[in-house]
Amino acid sequence: MRKLMIVGVVGAVSAMLLVQSSAQTAKTGTIKIGAITAVTGRFAEFGTQQLAGFKVGVAEINRRGGINGQKIELLIEDNASDVNKGLAAAERLANAGVPLVICEYSSSLVKAQAQYLARQKVPALVVTSSGDDITKPGNDYIFRLNQPATEYARALLNIFRDSKFKSMAMVAGTGAFEKSVADAALIFAKQYGIQVVEDQRYDQGLTDFRPVLNRIKSKNPDGVLMVSYAADSVTLMRQAREVGVKPRMFAGGAAGFALPDFIKDAGSAAENVVSATAWIQELRYPGTQKLHVELVKALGGAEPSYHAAQAYAGVIAAADAIRRAGSTDREKVRAALNTTNIQTAFGPIVFTDFDGFKNQNNLTMVAEQVQDGKFVPVYPRSVVPKAIKFERP
Amino acid sequence: MNPDFQAFVQTLVQGLLTGGIYALVGIGLSLIFGVMRVINFAHGDFLALGMFLTLFLFKTVHLDPYFSLLIALPLGFALGYFIQRFVLSRLGDRLSESSMLATLGLGLIVSNMLLLGFGAQPQTINVPYANNTFTLGGIQVSIALLVAGLGTLVAIVGLNLLLYRTELGRAIRATAQNPLGAELQGVNTRTIQATVFGLGVAFAAIAGVLLLPLLYAYPTVGETFTLKAFVVTVLGGLGNLPGAIVGGLFLGGVESLGSFYISNNYRDAYGLIAFLLVLLLRPEGLFGKTVKRV
Repeated sequence: MRKLMIVGVVGAVSAMLLVQSSAQTAKTGTIKIGAITAVTGRFAEFGTQQLAGFKVGVAEINRRGGINGQKIELLIEDNASDVNKGLAAAERLANAGVPLVICEYSSSLVKAQAQYLARQKVPALVVTSSGDDITKPGNDYIFRLNQPATEYARALLNIFRDSKFKSMAMVAGTGAFEKSVADAALIFAKQYGIQVVEDQRYDQGLTDFRPVLNRIKSKNPDGVLMVSYAADSVTLMRQAREVGVKPRMFAGGAAGFALPDFIKDAGSAAENVVSATAWIQELRYPGTQKLHVELVKALGGAEPSYHAAQAYAGVIAAADAIRRAGSTDREKVRAALNTTNIQTAFGPIVFTDFDGFKNQNNLTMVAEQVQDGKFVPVYPRSVVPKAIKFERP
Repeated sequence: MNPDFQAFVQTLVQGLLTGGIYALVGIGLSLIFGVMRVINFAHGDFLALGMFLTLFLFKTVHLDPYFSLLIALPLGFALGYFIQRFVLSRLGDRLSESSMLATLGLGLIVSNMLLLGFGAQPQTINVPYANNTFTLGGIQVSIALLVAGLGTLVAIVGLNLLLYRTELGRAIRATAQNPLGAELQGVNTRTIQATVFGLGVAFAAIAGVLLLPLLYAYPTVGETFTLKAFVVTVLGGLGNLPGAIVGGLFLGGVESLGSFYISNNYRDAYGLIAFLLVLLLRPEGLFGKTVKRV
C-alpha cells in the first residue's frame, strides 16, 4: 500500500512537471507525441531497436516540414521491462496531455497499458506486441499496426496450402505465445483441409525431442510445424535431422527460427527451414530499402530487426493522424486514426475490423527460408520471392 | 526391416544412449553417497560448470569440446577435492542435514556465478559434426550422442578398474564399508573422501562436456539432470554403481518408449511411475542390499 502511495506521489509530481513542460513547449511550437519502450531491463535489446526506429521516423517527419509547419517531438518514457513501471509511464504520458501514445514490445506490458489508456480516452497505437487479445475484442481507443500472433500461423499454413500439403505434424511449446500460434494453426489446418497427424506440446526444459520426432517420422507428414523459442528451435532441428524426419517442409512458427542466431547455432540443420517474421528489408514497399539504410545508421552499424521498422511506422502513422485531425485533441486524433490509409516502408496501414479484431491493421506476414546459410524471402508473392526448396519432392 | 519395428529400435537405442548420460551423472552422485553418505545437491551445477567450461574454451581458443575433457577432468577433480577437504569435512558428522545444506548452498553459488559470468540466455556451440549421423541397418543415431554413450562406457569401465584393480580403489571400498576400520588399517580416510568427492565432480563435469554438442548451456541446466540422477541412483540402489548404470538405461528407455507410444506430454511421468513401482516393490532399489544400521 505504502509502495503504491509512493508510486502515486512520484507519478503525480512528475506529471505536474510534465504538464508544465508541455505547456512551455506549446509556445515554441513542437507537437509532443507520447511513446513508451524498454530503455532498460530485460527487453532493452528491443528497446534499442525501437529507439532507433523512433529517431528515424521523427527525423523524416521534421525534414518534410513537420505537421503543418510544426516540428514533432517524442516524449519517450521507459517501462523498465516491467508491467507496473509501464503503467506508470502510461499514466505520466496521459497526464502530460499528449494526443496519443505509441506502445511497444511484450504483450503482457502493452495489454495493461493500452487498457489503461483506453479508460483515460487516450488513443493507444500499438506497434510491436502481437498477443491476439490486445485488439480482440479490442477497444475504440486501441489501434495496432503490426500483425497479431494468429498471422504467424496463417502465413505458414498458407504456404502449406499453396504447396498442396495433405498432412502436417506439430510440435509446440506450452508458453502463452506458442500456444496461441499453435491453436491458430490447428484452426487454419482444418479450414484448408490439411490433416494434423500429430499435435505434441512440450513444457519448457525438455531436451530430448527424439521420441516425438521418431513418432512424427513414422507418420511421414508433408509438413512439420514447430512453435518454439530460440534454444528449443535449434535442438528441435538438430534432433529432427538426427532422427531422420523427412517431411517436404520444416516450418518454424515463432521468433526463435527467424533470428540470425538460429542459422549460426544450428548450422547445416537449419537449411531449408521456413519461418514467419513481421518485416524484412527485401519487402517491396516504397522506401523499404532506404529505411533499412537509415536504421542501420541510427543503430551505429548494427542490423535492424522488424521492431525498429514498426517503431518507425508508428511515428509516421501518428504524425499522419494528427495532421489530418488538424489538432492535438484526443477525440479528433482518434477519429483520424480510424480513417488512416497510408503507405509506409513497413507496409500499408489501414485500421479495420475483421475476424473479431478491432482497429487492427490487416497486414500479411513474411516468410523466409534458410537457403545456403542465409534467410531468403519466399512469401508472400509481393516480395518477389525466391522459389521454395523442398526437402523431398 | 518393418518400419514400425525400425522406429521402435531407433527410439530404444536413442533412449538407451540418453539413459547412458543419466547413468554417468548418477554414478558420481552414487559414488559420493556410497563412500560418505552425503547427498550432493550441487551435482547438476557441477555438470553446468562442465558445460560452460567447454563453451568458454570453444569460444575463446576454439578448442574442440572433446579435447576440453582433458581440462575439465582434472579441474573438476581438483574442485571436488578442494570442496570436500576444506568445506564438507569441516562440518563434522553430528548432523546429516549440515552436509545437505552445504551442498545445496554450493550449488547456488556455482549457478549464480555462471549467471553472472555468462548471462541467463541459452548458449551452444556449433561444431562441424554436430549434425552428423551414423546409420546402421536403417537405425540412425547422432555421432555426438553415440560419443556421449561410449564416453559413459569408458568412464564406467575406468572407474571399475580403479575401484577393483588398484590400491587406491581398495582404500576407497574400505572407507565406504567402514571408515573407522579403514583408518585403523592405516588408510587416510580424509584424503580418500576428498578423492571420492573429486571423482564425483569430475564425472559430473565429463557429463557436461559430452552434453554440450547436443544441448544448450544455461546456468540452471543442471536442475533437470540432478533430478534424473536422483531417480537413477535410487532406482539402482543408493551407493550401488552397477545399479546406477542399469537405473540410467532403464529410465532413458522407459521415457523414450513412453513418449513414443503414448504421448510426450507425460514424459517425466513415465520415468517417475516406474520409479514409484520399484520403490513400492523393492524399497532398497533394483540392486540395493538391505542396509542394517548398527
